[in-house]
Parts: sequence; structure tokens; C-alpha cells
Amino acid sequence: MAIDNAVGVLAAEGGEGGFWEDTYPVIPHPGELIVGIISFAALYFLYKKYVVPRLETMLAERQRTIEGGIERAEAMQAEAKAALEQYRAQLAEARNEAAQIRDQARAEGQQILEELRTQAQEESARIVARGEEQIAASRQQVINELRGQIGALAVDLAGRVVGESLADDARRNGTVDRFLDQLDGMVGAGGRGGATAASEGTR
Amino acid sequence: MTTEVSAAEEFVPPSAPDFWQPLVGDGAFALTRSMVVMVLVTIGLAVVMMLVTRRLAVVPGRGQFRLEGMYGLVRNSIGRDIIGSAHFKPYIPLLFTLFTLILVNNLMGIIPPIQFPTMSRIGFPLALALGVYVVYLVAGVRRRGIGGFLKNLVPSGLPLFVVPVVFVLELVTFLITRPVTLTLRLFGNMFAGHILLLLFALGGEFLLLHGDGLLKLVSIPAFLMFFLFSAFEILIAFLQAYVFILLASIYIAEVYADDH
Amino acid sequence: MEGNLAIIGYGLSAIGPGIGIGLIFAAYVAGVARQPEVRGVLQTIAILGFVLCEQLAIFGIALAFVFSG
Repeated sequence: MAIDNAVGVLAAEGGEGGFWEDTYPVIPHPGELIVGIISFAALYFLYKKYVVPRLETMLAERQRTIEGGIERAEAMQAEAKAALEQYRAQLAEARNEAAQIRDQARAEGQQILEELRTQAQEESARIVARGEEQIAASRQQVINELRGQIGALAVDLAGRVVGESLADDARRNGTVDRFLDQLDGMVGAGGRGGATAASEGTR
Repeated sequence: MTTEVSAAEEFVPPSAPDFWQPLVGDGAFALTRSMVVMVLVTIGLAVVMMLVTRRLAVVPGRGQFRLEGMYGLVRNSIGRDIIGSAHFKPYIPLLFTLFTLILVNNLMGIIPPIQFPTMSRIGFPLALALGVYVVYLVAGVRRRGIGGFLKNLVPSGLPLFVVPVVFVLELVTFLITRPVTLTLRLFGNMFAGHILLLLFALGGEFLLLHGDGLLKLVSIPAFLMFFLFSAFEILIAFLQAYVFILLASIYIAEVYADDH
Repeated sequence: MEGNLAIIGYGLSAIGPGIGIGLIFAAYVAGVARQPEVRGVLQTIAILGFVLCEQLAIFGIALAFVFSG
């Protein structure tokens, strides 16, 4: 066959060949097998002794780091949650307090208003009372003044009319008082208007 | 790789002898190209791994990030999910060694200055498969003892006359089929993939140099296919590394599966 | 006509795995389309099935080279 011929020709040309060139490719070459086993074994022991343990240590360390990271993150999350709770509680408290303060302020305002109102009422009452008092006092004063003047005038007039001196104080006073009492009595019987008219008339 | 074509006027398709490339000596213990690649890859991996893992930070840098991505795939998606979280720890170094070694060796089939897949010489996949084989046999015997190990091969509740047949089948599977398929799969994939690449490269070259007239133009699609398959080989390289440790961890997981 | 009968054998051995891998990935795509959240689990199973199927083709190519030698 062609391949056989070619191989034969090649072997003849190259001058090497021999058993290992012509044999089946599935027959292992002992030298190569030995080199393969030695290389494999050497690399295996190197990996077993150095490479894989180093990698495993690193992976374990990474695992630990990641787990630590997760733990840390969880702790932080819990902390944040607690802070949030606290903040919320504080906020609620503040709101409560504000409401309380507002209520208190409202109540206080009400109270102040009430106080002011009563005070004002009292004041007004007092002012009214004082006014009345003043009026009464003025009236009394006027009455007293008028009584004095009317008495003097009446005595004067009467003295002139009667021609009799009424200088005697005791008598004069008695007469005037009697007269006035009579006038008062007239007023009591004939109404106030009559008294006023009478007093005006006497003037 | 291309020495034989340049002289020949007739196109010689790439074949198995192209993978026999002794550098020093000849015979059973010759120093071959794949040995050199294998040793270089091993040393390179060892140096890179030691440098990257010398200072591992909890917050990874660029190199560490990539290493961790690979390590996470091996450790979590394969080791932990298949072997089970109770027993997977002792097997991580094995799985990680297999994965990195196979991946980088497979990628060496495409990376230009080397461009020779180590695993296309059956000795290397066989060495790795033997490692897995020893590990899962030892783990099985250690867990149940030899008697329990053998007894565990046959699922309980079978009719008595089937038991010997199943036992022999399972024993053959356990002792022969599994390491052989593990070896052959990796070997076959890298071998066939590389032969395909060689075919496109050598065929394109032959058409370009020796083709008549318009046939020279056909070399363009051939080279395009070469690049396409080179990209495809990257996927295969990763997939084979993944599959190798997937199967290894399935075999190991069976040791810890309580009912067969 | 030149060539090797062993390669025809490889071609034959690749038919079965070809169909099988097609079926496996069809089922995988359908499964992921129906339930995208189980993608990770299905991926591992699909690759496992793919590998077990592919192994027949790999045997084919290995044996092809054995018998062509």
C-alpha cells in the first residue's frame, strides 16, 4: 500500500526509522512513558505540597473575611435599625411633648384671657363705683353748699322782709333748719319735682 | 514535520511516523521532541504556579484571578460536585495537576515555536491514566478492603447465575477498559487533531509548490482550514483536559458511592 | 485507487458516535431551552455522554492506525 511504501522510502532516505518509527502509534515508547510519569509525579508533589495548600488557605481566609464582612454588615444593620427605632421614639416623644406644650399654652392663654376679663370687669365695676361715689359726693357737696347758701339767702331775704335781725345764730339756724325740714316734708308729700321747683322758687 | 515532503514530487500524506521525532539517540530510550516539550511544560507550570501562589491576596490580582478561575473550575465544578463535598479535598492536587498539565501540553500543539502536542505520543496520556488508575484503585481498596472492593463491583439484588458474568465484566471495566479508554481518548484526540492540522498544512504547501496552474489557488482554502482547525484545536485542548479530570473524578467518586 | 481499508473501518466506526453525539447535544439544547436554570448540571452530563460516545470513534481511529501499519 501507499503508506507502507512511503514509510519504507522515508526510512530508506532518512536512514533512521527502526522499530519505533514503524511501530503502531498505540504502543507506548518506554522513555516517553518514564518521562511522563516522572514529570507528572514531580508536578503532583509540588502541587500537593505547595500550590494547593496555599490556595486552600487563601480561600479559607477569604471565606472568613466574607463571613466577617457579613457579620459586620449585619451588626451595622442592627445598629442602624436600633438608631432608627431610637430616633422614631424620640420623634414620637417630641411630638407628644409639643402637643402637651400646645395644650398647656392653650389652657394658659384661656386662663390669662379669663383673668384679664375678670380684671377688666372688676376694673370697670370699680370705675363705675367710683364714679357713682364721686357723683354722690358731688351731689352731697352741692346739697350742702346749696343748703348753706340757701339758708344765708333765705335769712337775708327774710331779714330784709321781716326787718328783724336774725343775726342770732342759734335762732337763725333753727329757723332755717325748720324751714328746710318743712320744705323736705313738702317734697316728701308733693314729689321731687315740686321740691326742685320749690327750691328754685326760693332762690 | 515537513522534511519528507520537500524532496518528494508525489504528495505523501501525514501519518503515524511523523510523530516519531527523536532528538538525541534512537531506540527505546531516545530523547524525543515530545519529552522535551513535556519537561519544559512541567518546569514552566511549576515555576508559574510557585510564583503566582507565593503571595496570595484575599483580593486577587490579574494572575491570581485567572489561576483562581481555573482552580475554582477544578475544585468546585468537578471535584466538589462529582466526588462530593465530604471526600474531595485529598484529590484536588491530583485533579489540578492533571488539568493544568493536559491543558498546557495540548495547547503546545498549536503555539507556534513548539507546535507539537505532547499527548499525541501515547506514553504521556498513559502515564497520566496510570496515575488516576493507581489512585482510584488504592482509594477503593483502602475504603472497603480487597474483599469489599471486589464485592462492591457487583450490584446487589442480581440473580445468582448472572453474578459471575457481571463480576468479570465489571472487573474488566475497572482494571482494563477504564485506563485504556482514558489513555486512548486523550491520545486519539490529540493525534487525530494534529494529523488533521498536518494534512492541511502539508497539503496546502504541496499544492502551492507542486500544483499545476489553478491548483495553486486551492492551497488558499487549505491554509484557511488550517487556521480554522487550529482555533478548533484550542477548544479541543480545553475540552480534553476537562473530560480527563471529569472521568477521573467520576471513577474516584464511585469509590465513595455507597450503593453501586 | 489508493488508500487503506483501515481508514474505511474508521469511517464506519465514526457513524455511530456521530449520530449519538448529535442526539446528546440535541437533548442538551432542548433541555436548556426548556429549563435554562439547570444548564450547569446538563452541561456536565452532556459532556460526559459526548465523551462516552466519542470514545468509540477514538477506538476506531486508533485501530485504523494499528491495522494500517
